[in-house]
Amino acid sequence: MGDSDTSFCVSTLLCQESESCLNEQGYEENTYIDVKPYDCFVSEDEEDEYFENLFRRETCFGSKGSSALDDYSDISQTWLKSARLDAVEWIFNTRAVFGFHFRTAYLSITYFDRFISKRYIDRGKMWAIRLLSVACLSLAAKMEECDVPLLSEFPTQDFYFESNVIQKMELLVLSTLEWKMGSITPFSYLSYFINKFFGDSRPKGLVSRAVELIVAMTKETNLIDSRPSIIAAAAVLAAFDNQLPRKIMELKMSVISFWQSDDKEHMYSSYNLMQEIGKRKVKTPELSVTPNVLSLHSGSHYLNENISYNSAAGTKRRLTFNESDHSSPVKKVHRK
Amino acid sequence: MGDGGNRGLVGSGNSNNNGGNGSSGNKPEWLQHYDLIGKIGEGTYGLVFLARTKSPGNRGKSIAIKKFKQSKDGDGVSPTAIREIMLLREITHDNVVKLVNVHINHADMSLYLAFDYAEHDLYEIIRHHRDKVNHAIHQYTVKSLLWQLLNGLNYLHSNWIIHRDLKPSNILVMGEGEEQGVVKIADFGLARIYQAPLKPLAENGVVVTIWYRAPELLLGAKHYTSAVDMWAVGCIFAELLTLKPLFQGAEVKATPNPFQLDQLDKIFKVLGHPTLEKWPTLANLPHWQQDIQHIQGHNDNSHGLHGFVHLPLKSPAFDLLSKMLEYDPRKRITAAQALEHEYFRLEPLPGRNALVPSQGEKVVNYPTRPVDTTTDFEGTTSLQPSQPVSSGNAVSGNMAGAHGVPGRSVPRPMLGMQRMQPQGMTGYNLASQAGIGGGMNPGGIPMQRGVNPQAHQQQQLRRKDPGMGMSGYPPQQKQRRM
Repeated sequence: MGDSDTSFCVSTLLCQESESCLNEQGYEENTYIDVKPYDCFVSEDEEDEYFENLFRRETCFGSKGSSALDDYSDISQTWLKSARLDAVEWIFNTRAVFGFHFRTAYLSITYFDRFISKRYIDRGKMWAIRLLSVACLSLAAKMEECDVPLLSEFPTQDFYFESNVIQKMELLVLSTLEWKMGSITPFSYLSYFINKFFGDSRPKGLVSRAVELIVAMTKETNLIDSRPSIIAAAAVLAAFDNQLPRKIMELKMSVISFWQSDDKEHMYSSYNLMQEIGKRKVKTPELSVTPNVLSLHSGSHYLNENISYNSAAGTKRRLTFNESDHSSPVKKVHRK
Repeated sequence: MGDGGNRGLVGSGNSNNNGGNGSSGNKPEWLQHYDLIGKIGEGTYGLVFLARTKSPGNRGKSIAIKKFKQSKDGDGVSPTAIREIMLLREITHDNVVKLVNVHINHADMSLYLAFDYAEHDLYEIIRHHRDKVNHAIHQYTVKSLLWQLLNGLNYLHSNWIIHRDLKPSNILVMGEGEEQGVVKIADFGLARIYQAPLKPLAENGVVVTIWYRAPELLLGAKHYTSAVDMWAVGCIFAELLTLKPLFQGAEVKATPNPFQLDQLDKIFKVLGHPTLEKWPTLANLPHWQQDIQHIQGHNDNSHGLHGFVHLPLKSPAFDLLSKMLEYDPRKRITAAQALEHEYFRLEPLPGRNALVPSQGEKVVNYPTRPVDTTTDFEGTTSLQPSQPVSSGNAVSGNMAGAHGVPGRSVPRPMLGMQRMQPQGMTGYNLASQAGIGGGMNPGGIPMQRGVNPQAHQQQQLRRKDPGMGMSGYPPQQKQRRM
């Protein structure tokens, strides 16, 4: 994204997919939404088994846990929330630039959220947020995409990072996440749930609406707090009808054998959140998010400084940056 | 261990920070736990070294350390490394190599994986029988190897992991010790969880031997299924029986992903041509349509599989083999089904120690793996050229039994072993993740630039002691990957 306009609107995320290529026939050709993880299941049983296994694996990646957002003081929390939003926007914009799958962008946000649940980033260090975003997206692309851009090709906008700095950050993310990079995304479940819920009578455009909702969700909630399968199910149902009576939802959900009652409760709250998102969208079709921190400053900042990560009290580590000993090559962030 | 974070590790040039670990002479933390013995393999993705642990309790335990080749400048951490480590972190099974540790050398950002060391592999075992002892591998050993291989594969497949590159040199067998004769599936560089993107192998710049490649892939199938691994197992099974590769096609070297007609031809010669009747989805495979005349123009004078493997048509072994070499991937036997096969219920029953038959069978003394002691962790060869192992050296390894040396896995004399101490390494233990990467320093790279990390080590390099007892083979540069 060359332009500095970072105002963000969900519908632009989908601009490259016409409705027609999101319908059933279009799955195969569609580059961006590849909802079929694996279409070689021998039988329906095998398919069920696959998704049950996937569901069980979700918990390996720290779904449901306290996030950094909970631990920060109010001021830090506000900053981190806005910084996270900025990161999410950058990730989706960059996804569009490179033509990555949505699942790749989503995956990188799960990395981001897991990272900040384990380490502190000092308030105001927008460049650290951007560096983290680049590393997370690059890692996700390496996991999911066939063509991965060079590190130098990532549009870092207001910052400049040398490739080896990004690589260091990649290593930091990998080790912080304990190399557990196979986080599961809601996109894996989409076609399975659509098939389970609606069979052959699936409404047109359901996939693209569900994708839109999943994308919107990433900005509302830390992904550590929610299970990908639940988000997928809520998105499919909300995309189908955002006024569903609870009875109908229960009925739909009963076809999935691996959900417990707990999971169903989470599903309802996710559904409610998506209802909200849907209503907001009706009011303001161009759902745009308040101009964020990054759009407030401009100019290139050259980053090539020494950063050390010291242990902090408690279980988390603080990212600290010893700029003081050097004439910092990073320009101070211009704030209005 | 290795909680670098508490020490605020940074690169060596960063004198402002405590705990600088660069060329200041501090021993890199993770390397302090190992004695480097030498290089044992070299593959597409890097080098493999043999080392021994020094930590009390595990002292002297052999460890294979795989060093990933540096990715190209600007690519960042290699996708192969990420995927392999990610997969290995998630899997635990007796018949799969165990990843003990991941170490990061922050100075040049290289990655080192530490595995439990396996002394043997099927490539060496087959070769030993073919070239040295000149008799077939014992039935018990073949069956036990196959049984364990299938067990490991069944585990992988039930976790939705496809290996994609099974071949004899990737199937390791533990040497002397508690786990003697236990099969370990290795080299997950190409393995995928079903979901992951399936890039054609050729585009990865990866050269995979085509001899074990399933027909659907040779015909251009885009989707990999676990059945591709079972085809490879069938090829390996046949090779264990006959000591030579079953389908030894000549590879067409071109990019991307050329049509391997000769390999298919070799398969057809043994198994006959596939037909749409037996393999209905054949019609959808790209090369089948495009090259139909080419493929079908070849005369179908198949000799029959049983003739090749010298098995009676009605034997359970032959039945199992032919089910693994079923053309239609959907009909091909699965690992779970294969484990249920009659073959494994007949004497001799498969056992945990594949190398030692339970009842007083004559034990074959397999050679230990050749180790090139002239290469350090940087992959730098010492100024002394690697010396071919002299005939005198061969004695202790080659046909050790015949020379009255007890045990198949003669403890390697430690003479001349030099420890390499590359500088600037920090490590972490996967088990104590809280501290991982605490010492990272994303901004700190430039300070290591321009410093030749090898300069110091060059002085430490010693040539191999010519008196070392090594295997009967001259050091080889076989393409091996862990």
